[in-house]
Amino acid sequence: MKKSIIQGIFIIALFFSIYGILSMVDWISFFKIETITEKSEAKIGDLFWKMFQENEKENKNAYLNHSIDSIIDKICFANKIDRKIVKLHIVNKAEINAFALPGGHLLVYSGLITHSENQEELSGVLCHEIGHIALNQVMKKLVKEVGISVLISMSTGNTGTQVIRETAKKLSSTAFDRSMEKEADLKAVDFMIQAEINPLPFADFLNTLADKEPEDLKYFSWINTHPDSKERSKYIIEYAKGKSFHKKSILHSPTWEKIKKDIQE
Amino acid sequence: MEHHKGFIIHKKQFAYQVGEHEAEKASNSYLMSLIAVIAGLPLPIINLIASCIFYFANRKSTWFVRWHCTQALLSQFSLLFINSCAFWWTISILFSTETLTNNYIAYLITAIIFNVAEFIATIYTAIQTRKGIHVEWWFYGNLTHLICKTAV
Repeated sequence: MKKSIIQGIFIIALFFSIYGILSMVDWISFFKIETITEKSEAKIGDLFWKMFQENEKENKNAYLNHSIDSIIDKICFANKIDRKIVKLHIVNKAEINAFALPGGHLLVYSGLITHSENQEELSGVLCHEIGHIALNQVMKKLVKEVGISVLISMSTGNTGTQVIRETAKKLSSTAFDRSMEKEADLKAVDFMIQAEINPLPFADFLNTLADKEPEDLKYFSWINTHPDSKERSKYIIEYAKGKSFHKKSILHSPTWEKIKKDIQE
Repeated sequence: MEHHKGFIIHKKQFAYQVGEHEAEKASNSYLMSLIAVIAGLPLPIINLIASCIFYFANRKSTWFVRWHCTQALLSQFSLLFINSCAFWWTISILFSTETLTNNYIAYLITAIIFNVAEFIATIYTAIQTRKGIHVEWWFYGNLTHLICKTAV
């Protein structure tokens, strides 16, 4: 009996020793899994963007695109984010919405630009979405929503357009979970402070939109998909309170005015 | 008395002369677990169920057959734990927020090593028992002796 117990313990110890030793190896790099994942993410992102391109109208106004690009340039440069990761697309749609797709595609609806009182409000929303991209939350959300098996078949081209359409719709119309949203909000504040953008208008933006009548909310997708705006506004103010920062406008006032004018045309 | 001693597998002369029909049944108990491995890879519990069925079907059989059915069944138990963990870990990666990590890959390789070792030992034992040669596995052999003491 004693012999069997000792042998049993030896087998268990052998199992965990092998497991312990093998755990020390960086298998993810060894099998180049990161690279494969990045490639798949880019592929899925391109599929989704193609889907949006077919169904929505992209705003090709060069002045508008370059101006919003300048804001993203500044945010990325100040926060050491590879600028090539974020691919901006402005879509002509009255909904107040912006969302990130896999592969760094950032879709901004013209309604968001129209309803932004100032460039800081828009920058806040952009920083929040860049936060989702930088924190790699887009793929995590997708895995949670549809499962990795569906994503693998998407990246290998084995999924029908209906599934891609449904999944893309989920990304634009559903929220990340609470902890991910808060993480992206706080990351947005950090990004804004680094880029010398005042984060308080972003908090105001959330607060103001939360006060809108339910009837008005049909256009406020970004608020509908990001619940508890009042609470978010509060913790953004609280988080920004202790931090010192310079306030600078990225765009000159005439540029911002022209953007507002162009977007309404 | 013939007695070959290896580190993991011991070949021993059994207490009595083993008949042809006994050797075949005993060998089948290992083959049963081998066949079940193929079906049981995605669902590890199938291995255990298959070995259990074979064990209960032969528990009134001769000592040699019972002894080997028990050893085959016991060897399936440890694999059941290892493979079940691997199975549910994989499911959580595929269908929930769990991500692919170095620990997961390390566990999978460890599980494969143990499965392959068991697979080879099973094939070898199935061949030997078919010839009527009694084979005792390290640890499992002792455990089987504790459970399967006397002839019916």
